Amino acid sequence: MKLFGKKMMAAAGIVLLAAFTAAAAGCGGSSDQKAASSAVSADSAVQKIKDNGVLRVGVKVDVPLFGYKNPQTGQIEGFEIDLAKAVAKKIFGDENKIQMVPVTAKTRGPLLDNGEVDMIAATFTINEQRKQQYSFTNPYYTDPVGLLVKKSDNIHSLKDLAGKTIAVPQGATTRKAVEDAAKKEGITVSFAEFPTYSECKAALMSGRAAAYAMDQSNLHGYVDAETEILPDSFAPQEYGIAMKKDNAGFRDYVNQVLTDMKNSGEMDQLLKKWTLNK
Amino acid sequence: MAEVFADYKWAALFDDRGIFLEGLVTTLEVAVFALILALVLGVIFGIAGVFPKTWVRIINRIYVEFFQNTPLVIQAIFLYHALPHLHIMIPVTAIGILGVGIYSGAYMSEVFRSGINAVPRGQLESGLSQGFGYWQAMWHIVLPQARRTILPALGNQAIAIVKNTSVLAMIAGGDLMYVSDSWSGMNMYYGPAYLTTGIIYWVICFTMTKYVKRLEQKGAVG
Repeated sequence: MKLFGKKMMAAAGIVLLAAFTAAAAGCGGSSDQKAASSAVSADSAVQKIKDNGVLRVGVKVDVPLFGYKNPQTGQIEGFEIDLAKAVAKKIFGDENKIQMVPVTAKTRGPLLDNGEVDMIAATFTINEQRKQQYSFTNPYYTDPVGLLVKKSDNIHSLKDLAGKTIAVPQGATTRKAVEDAAKKEGITVSFAEFPTYSECKAALMSGRAAAYAMDQSNLHGYVDAETEILPDSFAPQEYGIAMKKDNAGFRDYVNQVLTDMKNSGEMDQLLKKWTLNK
Repeated sequence: MAEVFADYKWAALFDDRGIFLEGLVTTLEVAVFALILALVLGVIFGIAGVFPKTWVRIINRIYVEFFQNTPLVIQAIFLYHALPHLHIMIPVTAIGILGVGIYSGAYMSEVFRSGINAVPRGQLESGLSQGFGYWQAMWHIVLPQARRTILPALGNQAIAIVKNTSVLAMIAGGDLMYVSDSWSGMNMYYGPAYLTTGIIYWVICFTMTKYVKRLEQKGAVG
């Protein structure tokens, strides 16, 4: 054991720490230069995807109607899946040249950053903070935040949740939306965050939380005989397709696809298909 | 990689350092009380593991085998999500202390048991022959000699406790790992958040390693 003397250990510690900070600082410093050469043209961005032979898309697999793995067929299906397929069709002329990567609210950012996916179509709400880090298309859907409660708890509005705990998923904008709404009502609530939607629901059912707050379309997948969605709805969330910040070229390309779909009526048809037309 | 550690993300982390400090306090709180609980359980069940009466040893085995062979995550999720359905609502910090403490206690009792077993049996017998009771002989003769073999393994367990408190992140426990998850989930600045959190855990555990080493050296001399 004398092999690692006191000095050796101290030196090893310092080297490790230095490596950490160097990695961190080095990465931080180079961000400005990166931003300068950010304008990747749409053509070269699309060419890169063509070279890969497949469009890699981060999608939800647990949000019915948007991105949901159908337990009967094993297929991932939903409105956002059809949107992604339309983009693949535009690039390759074949809507099946697509590789779907399941994401959660927490993993979609990192998956974009490390280049595992070309784009994210996963109920990704556009906000200022996220726009600073990622390129977003124009919104393709707007969904307000709602509250799921247990019928037996006698909660009828946000006001009834004063002083109670609300379950929200990690990595979602829900917490901020509910916090602001509560402030407006003049009440304070506390939050418990969980990595997955099903854990939020479990917390509601076990009484750890008095409500589960999330985008309403998502809640519709979790409502059952014992629970109900309150009539309150607030902070409409705009969903957009996201790419890497320096991939604005591809963003413009996808924007064009979305606009064309809107103009041709294809978008309305899809919304109708997934019963999302309001 | 560059964007993940962008300067403005570090600045945001610095502004919100209070949140991380609160998480760290919770982590330390849970770790300290879990360590105390684990030590107490470790001594009790460690001795139970070498006790002359068979049924006492059986109880020790049941405890150890149950908690060593199920994941801590499942135990925590059971305490948090399932017990309330039986109308038992344990606060989340208490779940951390009880969950991690009882889990680590199983490992510690094995450390104590094997440490006691490593002391030659003649030591206990000669103590008894000199008029010591079982407990007196155990406390004054066997355990002090077991100290040398026990201490390094106990140190490792104590360090594992600090890291295992991060199970609270799964059940909204407010510990360092949870606030790191929560903060970075909100703004996606996960790079600085997880790097800093990792370094904090490392510093705590490294300091403990050094401390245990010192104790060992003292023990070897004394």
